[in-house]
Amino acid sequence: MTTPLLSVRDLEIAFRSDGTDIPVVRDLSFDLAHGETLGIVGESGCGKSITALSLLGLVPSPPGRVTKGQILFEGEDLVGAREQRLNQVRGNDISMVFQEPMTSLNPVYTIGEQIAETARVHFGLSKAKAWKRAVEMLSLVGIPSPDQRAYDYPHQLSGGMRQRVMIAIALVCEPKILIADEPTTALDVTVQAQIFDLFQDLKRQIGAAIILITHDIGVVAQMTDRVMVMYAGRKIEEGPVAQFVRDPRHPYTSGLVSCIPRLMMPPSDEVEDLFEIPGVVPAPRDLNRPGCPFSPRCNRVMPRCRDENPALEVRADGRKVACWLETEVAA
Amino acid sequence: MTDVTTTAPKPVSPSMQAWRMFRQNHAAVLGLGILIAIIVISLLGPYIYTVPPRDMVWMPLTPPGTSEYVLGTDYLGRDLLAGLINGGRVTLAVGFAAALITVAIGISVGALAGFFGGRVDNFLMRVTEFFQVLPNLLFAMVVVMLFGPDLLNISIAIGIVSWTSTARLTRGEFMRIREMDFVKAERSIGAGNTRLIWRVILPNAAPPLIVVSALAIGTAILFEAGLSFLGLSDPNSTSWGRMIGDNRPYILDSPWGVTFPGLCIFLTVLAISLIGDGLNDAFNPKLRER
Amino acid sequence: MLKGSLNKLGNAVVLLVAVLVLNFTLIHIAPGDPVEAIVGEMGGATPEMIEQMRAQYGLDQPFIVQIGTYLGNVLTGDLGMSTYYGQPVTQLIWDRIGATMLLVITALMTAMIIGTVLGVFSAQKRRSILSHFVTVIALAGFSAPVFWVGIMLILLLSVSIPLLPISGMTSATSEAGGIAHVLDVLHHLILPALTLATIYLAFYSRLARASMLEVLGSDYVRTARAKGMPQRLVIYKHALRNAILPVVTFAGLQFGQLISGAVLVETVFAWPGLGTLAFESILRRDTPTLLGILFFSSMMVVVMNVLTDLVYRIIDPRIKAR
Repeated sequence: MTTPLLSVRDLEIAFRSDGTDIPVVRDLSFDLAHGETLGIVGESGCGKSITALSLLGLVPSPPGRVTKGQILFEGEDLVGAREQRLNQVRGNDISMVFQEPMTSLNPVYTIGEQIAETARVHFGLSKAKAWKRAVEMLSLVGIPSPDQRAYDYPHQLSGGMRQRVMIAIALVCEPKILIADEPTTALDVTVQAQIFDLFQDLKRQIGAAIILITHDIGVVAQMTDRVMVMYAGRKIEEGPVAQFVRDPRHPYTSGLVSCIPRLMMPPSDEVEDLFEIPGVVPAPRDLNRPGCPFSPRCNRVMPRCRDENPALEVRADGRKVACWLETEVAA
Repeated sequence: MTDVTTTAPKPVSPSMQAWRMFRQNHAAVLGLGILIAIIVISLLGPYIYTVPPRDMVWMPLTPPGTSEYVLGTDYLGRDLLAGLINGGRVTLAVGFAAALITVAIGISVGALAGFFGGRVDNFLMRVTEFFQVLPNLLFAMVVVMLFGPDLLNISIAIGIVSWTSTARLTRGEFMRIREMDFVKAERSIGAGNTRLIWRVILPNAAPPLIVVSALAIGTAILFEAGLSFLGLSDPNSTSWGRMIGDNRPYILDSPWGVTFPGLCIFLTVLAISLIGDGLNDAFNPKLRER
Repeated sequence: MLKGSLNKLGNAVVLLVAVLVLNFTLIHIAPGDPVEAIVGEMGGATPEMIEQMRAQYGLDQPFIVQIGTYLGNVLTGDLGMSTYYGQPVTQLIWDRIGATMLLVITALMTAMIIGTVLGVFSAQKRRSILSHFVTVIALAGFSAPVFWVGIMLILLLSVSIPLLPISGMTSATSEAGGIAHVLDVLHHLILPALTLATIYLAFYSRLARASMLEVLGSDYVRTARAKGMPQRLVIYKHALRNAILPVVTFAGLQFGQLISGAVLVETVFAWPGLGTLAFESILRRDTPTLLGILFFSSMMVVVMNVLTDLVYRIIDPRIKAR
């Protein structure tokens, strides 16, 4: 077996509060292959974004830090790597598009400069060449008259345009991995569709592996090859996207999937087309209690769920699920 | 869900919660202790330490620790300790009175501007801007010089030049809270403007206003000290600032004459600043990380 | 851009006229009038002389005429005659302004530069000794009366360790010109400038620290890190430029107010500037001079507000577009 492009092993990330480390992500392992698109889904507060930041060594510290595990990029562990090494990786091998296009660009520099400086830092390009490259990138992400727009300041652009600029920054060094953390959440619905179309186009053109973080199952179904579901800092289900939508195993996943209108699904007998999971994601400090963290909200909860937390089991078909229902069925 | 409710902490009132946070801030508690001590000494001190502060009681320019007057005497042979104890009353009185005027004007202007918005806001903000342009110390000097240096005039002068930042803060808070659902609910059940301003919005805007009010006392004390130092003090009373002004020409002969009153002002204002910081943290736990 | 500045300028003129009206109204409603002060200085006068002086100063005219005359005079640069010095107030201010500017600019620049450096460094290491140091000097600077700090510095640096002159702007014995004169003035400048700077240093270090902390937590700084920018560029290119915006704003706004702040320090060090003039005019009950200084200082505040606005438009692209 060849080395995967990215391999996360037993990752634990904790935030320090009042003298104790409170884990917000635990026992997280996953791989990413060249050119693959992985979706990470879950509600807000389940550890998706912090996982993404950890891949770039950007967990806000203090109070946060990676307390356990490895992040192997092409076999090299990025956890505990020197800052200089991380700076070579960031934006060059692994880059990221953030959720908030309105505030993610520096207000006092032109967008051309903000793209060009990335190329200068990583490729050592001259000012003129980097600027030319920035203009090309603006054109690539679909910004009209890019040679003029490059002189614009962020406040002169709409949210959708700014997100295109963010994507241009992320792609200017032709990274091997692109992480997109809810790239459209802050945008209007029509603009959302345009941005995802852009992602689809670019995916074909650049061949980077993509990690797409979202809570939008519809987007996941369209864009990704494989899906990983996180709940309260843990991975609770993983598998190919087709099976994930058609036959979710974990009750939480079922809940997420039934939250979307079933436009692509054949009509079913189910009364509720739109279903909402009652309750909220538990706070990280409440996670030390025994039992499955989802049990208070689970509609198929069993006595056992309240006492023991199920481990992630690999099913015969290769999918992974952490739920007692699976073991009950298997037994 | 049941186990969640059993472990939830008992509900405590917001002010109790703020007090708990405040108590955790050792510097703020220290500040509160210092301030209480200074207030108590100023109020009760003159009855216990009965040396007259304005009479010659000993050789002029006696250094501290060389006579029964432990902090020494000034150039007129007045007991420095007696001066400090009595001067504290004046300094604190003017400080509190001026802060009261500052806060009263600031909150009234800010509340009206923030609550009514539109033209009222426009006009009141123009007035506020005008008072911001006035150089504060110079203007206070002019007022006190023209109308006479008694304690009330000094307090008013300080209040007039200090209220603008309180007004801006109050205005901001009112504009924010005015749009909240509970205010709309109160309005919909027929609450009048007076009730909305004083009983509904103001209590909810209280936390930041309490902090600036506390800090206003410190600023006012510094201000009073500055005016007294320039000779604009009530001729019939002694304040710490005035003691510094009086003793300044003699710093070479009796450095203690300016050092001790200055230390008193410094300690008092420092205590108030610490309390202010503590209150700020107590009301905004989220900012504590900074 | 130009329109915004013109609006500001119009606004500024209105504010200044308001200051003049307030000035005049204050004298008018205050007990006693300028003639009484002059008579007091002269040591008494006959009722006829007082009447004559009233007419000479226009005090027998109705309020509205008096205020009109006053405004007209100010517009032509006439702030009245000093009752003590017997010179035009404008002339007195003109003679003193240089000394005040030298003191104020030196102090403000010192405070701004050192304050920004301290604030920026301490923001990067929140739990460091430097960070605690900034917190402590900020608290102390806010709490100590500036004139007392000045006196304490005199006791320390002029009396205990006789390094610096106690007061004045030049040595009385010094007749030298040229370089020697400049050095002499600078020697005298150190203590008052240091005193004034101490207070503002407290303010700037705290402001710069808070501003830098906010910027370091911003999304665009995270973006810069995610792009692989070296730490040096993240701090000095992406963070600092944004973090100094509020520092520049406040420096501009405070520069105007600083003349007022300089009153106490100039008085302590007998620095021959506007502040000392203001102090002396209180001692002499020289109302026209004090009001003249008040008006002049207000004008400085307004002018600096307009200038700050212009500078801000240059360094912050967001405002240019409006």
